[in-house]
Amino acid sequence: MSLKRPILLTLLAIGWGLAMFFGGWVLRGGMSSPGGALPQPAPQAQAGPGLPLLDEAWSKVRESYVGEVPSDTLRNYGAVRGAIQTLNDRFSIFIEPQIRAVERDQQRGSFGGVGATLFINDEGQIVLTPIRDAPAEKAGLKANDILLAIDGVPLAPKPELNEVLLRIRGDVGTIVNLTVGRGADRYELRIVRAVIETPSTTWRIVTSTAGAKAGVIAIQSFTARTPEEVKRAILELRRDGVTGMVLDLRDNGGGLLNASIEVASQFIADGVVLLERRREQTDVSFRASGGGFATSMPLVVLVNANSASASEIVAGALQDNGRAKLVGTKTYGKGSAQYIYDLSDGSSVHVTFAKWYTPRGRSIDGVGLIPDIDLARPEDEARRGQDSQLAAALAILFP
Amino acid sequence: MNQPAPSRSTQILRGTALALVGVFAGMIIFAMGIAAGITLTRGDFSFRGASAFPPPGTATGSISVTPAARAAEVDQKLINETLAQLRNNWYGELPSSDALTNGAIRGMVAALGDDFTAYVEPKYARMLEDDASGSFEGIGATLRSVNGAGIQIVRVFDGFPAAKAGVQSGDAIESVNGVKVATLSATEVAALIRGPGGTPVVLRLRRADTPKPFEITVVRGKIVIPLVTSKMIGTGTDKIGYVSLYDFSANARQQLEPRIRELLDQKPKGLILDLRDNPGGLLSQAVEVGDLFLPEGDFIIERDQAGNVKRLRTTNSGIAQTIPLAVLVNGGSASASEIVAGAIQDYGRGQVIGETTFGKGSVQLPKTLSNGAQLRITIERWFTPKDRAIHGTGIAPDITVARSSEDSKANRDPQLDAAVNFLQTGVKPAP
Repeated sequence: MSLKRPILLTLLAIGWGLAMFFGGWVLRGGMSSPGGALPQPAPQAQAGPGLPLLDEAWSKVRESYVGEVPSDTLRNYGAVRGAIQTLNDRFSIFIEPQIRAVERDQQRGSFGGVGATLFINDEGQIVLTPIRDAPAEKAGLKANDILLAIDGVPLAPKPELNEVLLRIRGDVGTIVNLTVGRGADRYELRIVRAVIETPSTTWRIVTSTAGAKAGVIAIQSFTARTPEEVKRAILELRRDGVTGMVLDLRDNGGGLLNASIEVASQFIADGVVLLERRREQTDVSFRASGGGFATSMPLVVLVNANSASASEIVAGALQDNGRAKLVGTKTYGKGSAQYIYDLSDGSSVHVTFAKWYTPRGRSIDGVGLIPDIDLARPEDEARRGQDSQLAAALAILFP
Repeated sequence: MNQPAPSRSTQILRGTALALVGVFAGMIIFAMGIAAGITLTRGDFSFRGASAFPPPGTATGSISVTPAARAAEVDQKLINETLAQLRNNWYGELPSSDALTNGAIRGMVAALGDDFTAYVEPKYARMLEDDASGSFEGIGATLRSVNGAGIQIVRVFDGFPAAKAGVQSGDAIESVNGVKVATLSATEVAALIRGPGGTPVVLRLRRADTPKPFEITVVRGKIVIPLVTSKMIGTGTDKIGYVSLYDFSANARQQLEPRIRELLDQKPKGLILDLRDNPGGLLSQAVEVGDLFLPEGDFIIERDQAGNVKRLRTTNSGIAQTIPLAVLVNGGSASASEIVAGAIQDYGRGQVIGETTFGKGSVQLPKTLSNGAQLRITIERWFTPKDRAIHGTGIAPDITVARSSEDSKANRDPQLDAAVNFLQTGVKPAP
């Protein structure tokens, strides 16, 4: 794959932060259907007074608070946040509309954009870097250009990254004009938005000392595109003659539940992928969908303490079905599932609706998965281009 | 020196008792996040004249009454949608609707971004009332609410239960008797900690240098801390008088004045007023204490929501208007302490020595809601005579001297030393 991935992910990580890390989501309403796999009671927003005491308290604030009283919108966001906090569950959260929009793009795995990464430098300016061959580069954007205005509207002195991101993005085929500063010069760039994909999966071939070829598939997060990417990876690697595979789920914080089931299904011919337990209901088991492309290829899974949620589902399914050994360190232990509800004004709430268990009924939540080969990766290895965990995986594939 | 120390079964009691007075009087002032309660009432209510806050039951003939509260009915669709989702799908047991309401109000209040506007839910408001009966005792510590960091112990008083049990200043409280306090206001946590003397309270604490939270059991007891202490430092012509004031409670001036007179009678070269860790108190007492040291003039400027400005003035009756003066302050000096230090600085009356003060220049008014809860709303901000803001910024000392925890442990006091040295030599140390 190209070099652009890490930068792109860095960018996404900025607007995305921990939310992605704590993924493990099922989407409701909005963008994609979970494929009918889940029972979905229709949300019943009841008409009614809500919480009348809120108005009473707020009228007192309006009457005498010394400072500026926030807008009704912010008032309600605060109230929703406060109500959700009483659940005492850090995965049940409220997300404001702008952040939700960025989140939606991320889960979708693609959006209409210009093809540039951005970050905020120490002076609070937005620094742009073009992605190779994408529209922004073709329009003349250079690395380290400073963004000054979007469609002629100057940026606020301390711009909010998500806000800028959303103003740059838009429907495919539409035009956005960016004013950028480069040294003392200013440039106007007219850019036609195109589909910008945010791949979640990379793959490559490594050769053991004995000359055996293994395919390494690394998944950074589980987006709606991930299953297709993994299928393509498997087909390409098989075509290139690999005789074993390594599924690298290290530092994969999770993502969409359905993507994880589909990915597990690529490696398991038949069987249970996970059990889901909800309030006052019997467990629901999710089975492999069948037709996987690599159900018999020798397989090892790499995990670490940052492998969470959807990653743990895949790893747990492969481990419990005796399909693969896990190599690395104990996983994060996030075994709860959140629905994401888009509220009427574009904000959303994440609500924990279930806990997940591995096919053999092992709890993931708060526990994590214990690898078959417990092996930590020394911190300086990445810098030196070494990977003892991958080496251990290869040693299992090609003893 | 033989003045009877005022009995105070912890300052928490003092605060809450006085807070309750405040509820009846309709006006609370100086409410400090330091839960030990430093929420005191303004002595002279009628002083407010056309106040928007008539005390309940008062004839309002001469007092202009607030127009009926503007209707604050806000579209709650978003809240209804959220509650429906929680009801339908939340994995665990749904909190009661009272709990959800309390949470929502907390969240709403948090949207103000003001550390001092606080919600006290009915359960804790009732505890505060029970506490006012005087039968509750405390542990000898002060607390405050730190934005985003929960409830923190500001000060632990030597010789009292918290100190004896090993509680340290700077400890963050995770839970009290198993009740998590992350979302509670300092006032509520203080109510949880207090209880009958001799009974235990279990605090779960986090400490910077300790990897995991740990529990300490503290047995509640009577806390008696002298309001004023005084002493003479040194001898001969170089001797310096020293007074400390613990807080600005109702008889602050009454107790402070004779001690200062006693010291002045011995003709010291200078006087030190120690306001370190003094969390504030009555505004009227801030004026009274300032009056001891300052000439006649503006003492404090108050501004409310509507931009109304009120000035409180000192008279010319002070007994210590000319003696060289140093005021000791630190990060625990708040509210009334900051007003006094700020005014002394503005008048060039003395040197403020130590560390930047807390930065609380606001007044809270408690309002009782129909569910029995209390909403303490910041209604005014204060400014020094030269119109410098106190809120958020605090008062920066003229001579900055830190006191580390090592200093405290070793009983060293470089701030006091610097004050004595300044008053004896008249020379400010190089910064």
